[in-house]
Formats: sequence, C-alpha cells, structure tokens
Amino acid sequence: MAPELLRRGILDHRRALAGWCAGIVGYVALIASIFPSIEGSPELNQLIESYPDVLKSLFGITGAGNLTSGAGFLDAELSSFMLPLLVLVLAIGSGARTFAGEEDAGRLELVLAYPVTRRSAVVMKGLAVLVEVVLACLAAVSAILLFDAIVGLDLSLGHVAGAFVWLVALGVFYGWLALAVGAAYPSRALALGIAAGTAAVDYLIGGLHDLAGWLDPFRFISPFWLVGQSPLQQGIDLLGVVVVLAASVVVLAVGATLVERRDLEVP
Amino acid sequence: MSETPAIEAVGLSKTYGNEVRALVDLNLRVERGEVFGFLGPNGAGKSTTIRLLLGLIRPTAGRAALFGRDTQNDGVASRRDVGYLPGDLRLADRLTGREQLDSLTRLRGGNVALRDELCERLRVQLDRPIRQLSRGNRQKLGLVQAFMHRPGLVVLDEPTSGLDPLLQAEVRSLVRQTAADGHSVFISSHSLDEVQHVADRVGIIRQGRLIDVDSVESLRERSLRHVTATFAEPVAVEQFTTIGGVRLVRADGRVLTFSCSESALDALVKQVAQHQLVDFVSQPADLEEIFLELYRQDDDGA
Repeated sequence: MAPELLRRGILDHRRALAGWCAGIVGYVALIASIFPSIEGSPELNQLIESYPDVLKSLFGITGAGNLTSGAGFLDAELSSFMLPLLVLVLAIGSGARTFAGEEDAGRLELVLAYPVTRRSAVVMKGLAVLVEVVLACLAAVSAILLFDAIVGLDLSLGHVAGAFVWLVALGVFYGWLALAVGAAYPSRALALGIAAGTAAVDYLIGGLHDLAGWLDPFRFISPFWLVGQSPLQQGIDLLGVVVVLAASVVVLAVGATLVERRDLEVP
Repeated sequence: MSETPAIEAVGLSKTYGNEVRALVDLNLRVERGEVFGFLGPNGAGKSTTIRLLLGLIRPTAGRAALFGRDTQNDGVASRRDVGYLPGDLRLADRLTGREQLDSLTRLRGGNVALRDELCERLRVQLDRPIRQLSRGNRQKLGLVQAFMHRPGLVVLDEPTSGLDPLLQAEVRSLVRQTAADGHSVFISSHSLDEVQHVADRVGIIRQGRLIDVDSVESLRERSLRHVTATFAEPVAVEQFTTIGGVRLVRADGRVLTFSCSESALDALVKQVAQHQLVDFVSQPADLEEIFLELYRQDDDGA
C-alpha cells in the first residue's frame, strides 16, 4: 500500500536528516553563544547603522539598536538567512531526491509496477518531505529555546512558536516545488535547479523590494516576503503563512497530476 | 461468460518523439494459465511492450488490459494480481534483502504466501545489504518479489540473462509450477532455448513489430539447425542442396555448412553419411537466423 512509500521516504533519508539537524543545532548554538558579548556593546549598533541599506535590508536589520536584543540578534543572524538556507537545502534536496532522484537511479520502475498510483506515490513522498522539514524545524526551535534558557535571549514564546510555523512553511514550499518539478519532468538536476533558483530569486525579492522600486510589485510572489521577515521580533504574517502553505499544496497537486500523464524514465 | 484473458493488447503502439517507432500495432492475447514466450533481439520492443502493459509508459495508440482491466484508466486494479521482474532490476542498495522484501510486501498490502518458501528454495541472502550482493543474488530477490503473492500473471523481462545454469533451471521450474496452478507467465527473452522448454506459445518481435506467433512445437518444427560437416575428401554439393529444407550456407573445400530445418535433419544426416566423415556439428541456429528464415518465407509467400 502507498503509505509504505511515506515510511520508506523518511527512513531512507534518516541519516542525512540526523546530520542536518545536528548541523542546525550546532549553528544555533554557535550564534547564541556569541550573543552575550554582543549584548553589551552598543558600538556594534553604530557600526551596523553605517552599513549600506542593501546589506541591512538583506540581513533583516530593520531598525536602529535591535541587534542588542535577543530577538533582533537572532532574526539578523538566523532567520534572515542561515536558518532558512539550512532548512531549504534539506527540503529541496529531499524533494528532488525522493522522486526524480529515485527515477534517475531506475528504482521507480519496480515500485510503480506495484498496485499504487503515481499520484499517491507523489503525495506520500511529499508527506515524507513534510515530516523531514518539521523535524529539522523542531530541532532548530528546540535549540533556540534551549539557548534562550542558557544565555537569556529574552524571547517571546509565541514568537518562537510562530518562527517554527514560518520555517516549516518556507521549507515545505520549496521542498514540494522540487518534488513536483521532478514528478512533472524526470530530472533530479532540473528539480534541484528550478527549486533552488526560485528560492534565490524569491529571497532577493523579499530582501530588496524596498530598495529597488521596480521589484516592489513582485513582492507578493515571494514566500519570504509573504511569511514576514522578522519572526522573532515582530511575529509572523499568519495570513502569508497560510497563503504559502496553500500554494505548496497546489504545487504538489500539480506535480501529482502531471506525473500521471508522462512516461516513466526507465534504465 | 468467457473468462477475460490475462493479457489483451489491441493495436498497441508506442512512438518516441515523432520518429522512433518502438512498438507498432501489437495485437496479442495471452490466456489464463498460458506461458507466453516473447522473443526478439535487443531493442526489438520487448521491454517497451512490457512497460506498456504495466502502465509505466503511455501508448501512442491502442490499448491494453490485464484481466480485462485497462492498463491506463484502471492501472492499479490491472496490476493488483501481477508480479513483475524488470530486465534491469534496481533495488534499494542500502537495504538488506529482508528489509527490501518487507518493504515490497507492505507496498503490496501483505498476503505473500510464497515468500518464505521461495527464499528458502532459491537460497536468497536476506541479511546482507543489497549493494554487497552479486548480480545473481539480486536477481533472486527480484524473482521472490515477482512470485511471492501467487499472482495470476507473472511478467519476467529477460529473467535468466546472466544467471548460472542452476538458477536458470530453478526459474524454469518456477514458471512451470505457476502455469500448473492455472496462472499465466509472460516471459521475454532473446534466446529461443530459454523459453522453448517452458512456453506454450511464442511470439517473435522484430523492430517493434510482432512478426509471428506460434506454438512452440510448430516453431520447433520450423526451427533451424546450424550444421557443419567436415569430410575426409571433397564432395559434390548438389546432392545436399536438393534436399528440401536444407540450404547451403558456405562451402569451404571439405567443410560444408548448412542451415537446415529440424524436420530435414534426418535426410541431411543420411546423405552426409554416404561419405567418409571427419567431424559433424549440429547446433540450434540463433534467433537472427530464424528471423531471416521467417522473412524468407514471408517473401516467398508474397
């Protein structure tokens, strides 16, 4: 039965996932352990103030003096770039590997000759990607909460919970995009390329739309803009998160539809 | 009500791009309980046919059904009672054989009555990672998963290529046993020898076209021998070429090479025996030769 593909999807990636979670926790630990030395240095804020607007905008530095608060520091150091990057690399890699990668390796021929529809195979593999993303985000948020307790980041619990949903939404969207591209067209490289390229463009739009006026109208297509860009300071844009999750479902549904219409690539 | 056949293909065609006609207008019926051998050289369209039957690729024209269930519109139902061994089997390399079979069992939805018996019989290595297994041992896993749920139809794509003779014999006996249970087997091969001992009927495909379907007996009647006779001294060739069903392929001094139907073999041997003989070799002709013979007959008929 198709749920075996969900189970297998998670188990096949469990080593990579464990390594990835360890890396995320390690990075959070590194950043959080720097915070006490930043906290007491107002001159840093002056330094940052002198940065070009482009840099500040890209790295989520939204107002004066906020680097010395725990939430502002983590938003700038984690949520603005590295944390989404880590989760997206995991999600996109997993989404591209689980269908297109397996197909490239010739391993889908036997599986899809069993009494399962391709559609359900895509959905089950999508759920496996979701589980991986949720576990990685849980690792990130757990580490943040742990170091909040240790070094006193003074975070709002509601905002941390929001950041979890925020990170899951971003990961699922691009992970499912990679999966859907691989389902629609049999190439792991294309699945990786389109998902990663889209993420890069969306990230730049999210970061730069304020500064480059012509980009501004496009901000609505950027999940990074939609979900909110300072989750720990200002909370998330819940409606935006819902929109991104809904778009993820649509993307996966399109992939699950297109996969039924094409020929399977076989060795 | 007559039983629906295990396999039915009507006008089944597959064209890649606009050029490569991998399969052209295949009409085929394989009855329940029948073992059907599907013969053809590499690239003739055997695997294309099988993948169409399993819904892995989409036909350009025509349709196919397994047990009366359309392979396109009713794919899951059509594959429910089917076991398949791909020609190029790729398994999950990091799993052990047992984990792989467990996974496929769950994917199948349980009910794999024959699994343990087959593993024992084929002496499958269950506890080593698949990547450490030889090709033969991987193939055993493929055979187990194809037969383990007693399917009404087993589709085997070149099942014994690269296997040792012992395992080849085991596959033949599995196929016979499946047929004895009233189930069907569709077995593709590029060697007549591989299928002639198990198949009831044989279809021959070449360049995407099914050129002949026949019972194994009549195919064997028409099947060719490749005969090489070495005489002690030169002999006149005319005395052999006048025998019906014998064709002189090459005359090289004292060595004559014939292509000869099995029914004409006796006459040829008796004629050869008129002379002093140094060596005599009779081999089954390869499939290409049989094809050529079939084509010659087609041309004669036209």
